[in-house]
Amino acid sequence: MRDSWFKDDELLDAVEARGIGRRDFLKICSTFAAALGLSQVPFAARIAQAVEGSAAKPPLLWLEGLDCAGCSISFSGSLNPPATSILLDKLSLRYHEALMAAAGHQAEEAFHATAEAGGHLVVVEGAVPTADQRYCLVGGVPFKDKLLAATERCAAIVCVGACASFGGLTREMVCAGVGVSEIVTDKPIINLPTCPVHPEHLVGVVLYHLATGKLPALDELGRPSAYFGQNLHDNCRRRGYYDTGKYLQDWNDPLQKDYCLLLKGCKGPKTNADCAVRLWNDRTNSCIDCGAGCQGCSEPGFYDDGIQLFT
Amino acid sequence: MGRKRITIDPVTRIEGHLKIEVEVKGKKVVDAWSSGTMARGFEALLTGRDPRDAPWVTSRFCGVCYSVHQYASVMALDEAFGAQVPWGGTLLRNLSMGAEYLYDHILHFYQLTALDYIDVMAIADYQGRDAGLLEVKDKVLGLVAAGDTSPFTPRNAPDEFCVRDPEVVTTAVAHYIQALAVNAHARNMGAIFGGRTPHYQSLVVGGSTQLPDLNMVAKFRTMLDEVADFVDDVYLPDVLAFGTGPLMPLAEAGIGAGHLNYLSYGGFKMDPQGKELLFPPGFIRGLDPSGLAVEPFDPARVTESVKHAWYKQAEPLHPFDGEQIFDLDREGAYSFVKAPRYDDLPVEVGPLARMLIAGNPTLLDLVAKGVKPGVVARHASRAIETRLVVDACYRWLDMLTEELTSPDFKIHDSAHWAPPEQGQGAGFSEAPRGALGHWIKVKDKKIENYQAVVPSTWMASPRDEAGARGQYEESLIGCPVDDVDNPINVLRIIRSFDPCLGCAIHIIDPDSNELRRYVIDKGC
Repeated sequence: MRDSWFKDDELLDAVEARGIGRRDFLKICSTFAAALGLSQVPFAARIAQAVEGSAAKPPLLWLEGLDCAGCSISFSGSLNPPATSILLDKLSLRYHEALMAAAGHQAEEAFHATAEAGGHLVVVEGAVPTADQRYCLVGGVPFKDKLLAATERCAAIVCVGACASFGGLTREMVCAGVGVSEIVTDKPIINLPTCPVHPEHLVGVVLYHLATGKLPALDELGRPSAYFGQNLHDNCRRRGYYDTGKYLQDWNDPLQKDYCLLLKGCKGPKTNADCAVRLWNDRTNSCIDCGAGCQGCSEPGFYDDGIQLFT
Repeated sequence: MGRKRITIDPVTRIEGHLKIEVEVKGKKVVDAWSSGTMARGFEALLTGRDPRDAPWVTSRFCGVCYSVHQYASVMALDEAFGAQVPWGGTLLRNLSMGAEYLYDHILHFYQLTALDYIDVMAIADYQGRDAGLLEVKDKVLGLVAAGDTSPFTPRNAPDEFCVRDPEVVTTAVAHYIQALAVNAHARNMGAIFGGRTPHYQSLVVGGSTQLPDLNMVAKFRTMLDEVADFVDDVYLPDVLAFGTGPLMPLAEAGIGAGHLNYLSYGGFKMDPQGKELLFPPGFIRGLDPSGLAVEPFDPARVTESVKHAWYKQAEPLHPFDGEQIFDLDREGAYSFVKAPRYDDLPVEVGPLARMLIAGNPTLLDLVAKGVKPGVVARHASRAIETRLVVDACYRWLDMLTEELTSPDFKIHDSAHWAPPEQGQGAGFSEAPRGALGHWIKVKDKKIENYQAVVPSTWMASPRDEAGARGQYEESLIGCPVDDVDNPINVLRIIRSFDPCLGCAIHIIDPDSNELRRYVIDKGC
């Protein structure tokens, strides 16, 4: 069973030999190629080559700093492709505090072996404290030192969530958290803000990197343009009501159900993200669809001093 | 015989950053220290903000159990704002919370703890013909052949309590993979009324923002059916089969019992008046399984110590007036977690406490069969109450269906959306990990003070004024450690509590090195 546009059986055989179903694989490739604005056939071929060509899966170190683990949970909800297929078939997950079998010194040894070998991917979840390094110790060392050790020889860094990208809520806390790009300045960094990270954003950039060895086109804030290139308000399904001046004031009223949420504090007009079209949780719902409105969590400083979420 | 100190840092397969140190003598743990090693400081962020932001912000205490923080927070705000939540709004909140419970407990058993009880590599010997299991076998053998079995290795060496039967192990790993997908479906189910997960969007003071319709109810019910099937056919049978089968020696030994004091605040209305709660409140002082004596929960008996935590000394204050100042150089301190106590006693909160206090017949039947309080009883209680949450979700759905067909169906108290000039409120709830309380004080329409005492603070706490260990620490005393390089039982015990350190160290409690008595105005 395969799509007719794909001709190269050898590549597909190789992919299948690595435990990935052909159909799933092609679906994955075309989904993410489309999302990132790539031509589908060469992209699929490149991923296949990347998977087949290397003897070993690219190692991944997933670090948690000043975090809530929400981005890990969000990623684990990826269904198409399943998170297990990413973690078992495409990457070698060497370090992840919430998932790995090992603990304590075994975990730390695995971390250092991978970090020293180099060429790995680093995913960072959570911010880095600047007020005092003792606000976040992992394995007995300051998180900042751990981050520097992990990234010294890495191929690329993916910052998941608002905290790792720009500091997020921790910017204004006692710990004074900052994003990774304020600490690591000499490595390729992809920022995937939103609180938490959207699983499809993460899966998309990881597959893109595996296929091309490169970073997708990024905006000036290090966010993939494919996901953060457009204003949310421009794509909002409530936009028609905004244009005609109809605003939701009472959540009980069925007539107002789809009205614009500006009076409830919606930050859509100031936000660049694709939530209004991508939705969340396998297209189940979204912040705007549920009537609460957007809180602008893809933007740096979205909850800095003076900002109110609901006005 | 000498003592040897073992440090496990980080403790993995938990939420947050936790260090555990134990002293071992004669192959048994004789002393233990539990240290939370990450702090953010939410109070500084919330003070002076619009109170309506609090549920959204405090959800970020924890990305695993987000909804219960939002729930406790909106309850505190409801009281401070004087909001009367319509029954429809409460039902939407309950269903969102229920969806989170379902995924959270399943995640804990399969993703966070199962690897402690099985020898994954026994899959290589699977000889059966089940196509699904052969697929799992091939997947794992594929990892072995490629010379890279991460993240299943490195690992603690399997011991005598690890199941090695290839059929059982292969089935367990298949369930591990299946559980990830079921979890995702359960979270998606939560997003129907919650907006999106992790971190719901629709829970606000006064009710909910998500006006439901019958299609949403039907969708929720369909997804709930799927989760219910997994709970009935896979999760509950797995836990009971393991607990009373290969792990029966562990269960009978009562490994990981700790202090035998159990506390539940109770929570989740099953009717508009709250005559029936999903989880009843209560306190058990020194469990005697032969005669379960449950005292009423008295909020005035809750106290908190910071003698061994990294906070500055301060005069005792009522929680509504509390302040928070870190002291990273404090002598004798070894954790960011404070030490709450009930009637001066360290307690256990969470599923085992709730099921004991409820007198749950399934758990009591296990106890009668010889399962003592401890690691196995905790896993069993978690699975048992997952089934109770499934049942509750069906009842809430039925009630919601009836409600939303009535002409005056409401989900929000819109008359109390604007913040009051001043006010204060408390929200008490039961999180998946146990008793949870949030407090807010509003002045000039802004947050003057906000604080929370959360489940993992109760249990991950360091020693108190009297030197009494926290529940994690106490539960480790006597833990068998045959090989100091492979302290697998220590990890089994700690993980059985489902630690959530992001929650435990949100740092918005009052601080003092004095014992402090909370005066709580009202219960659930």
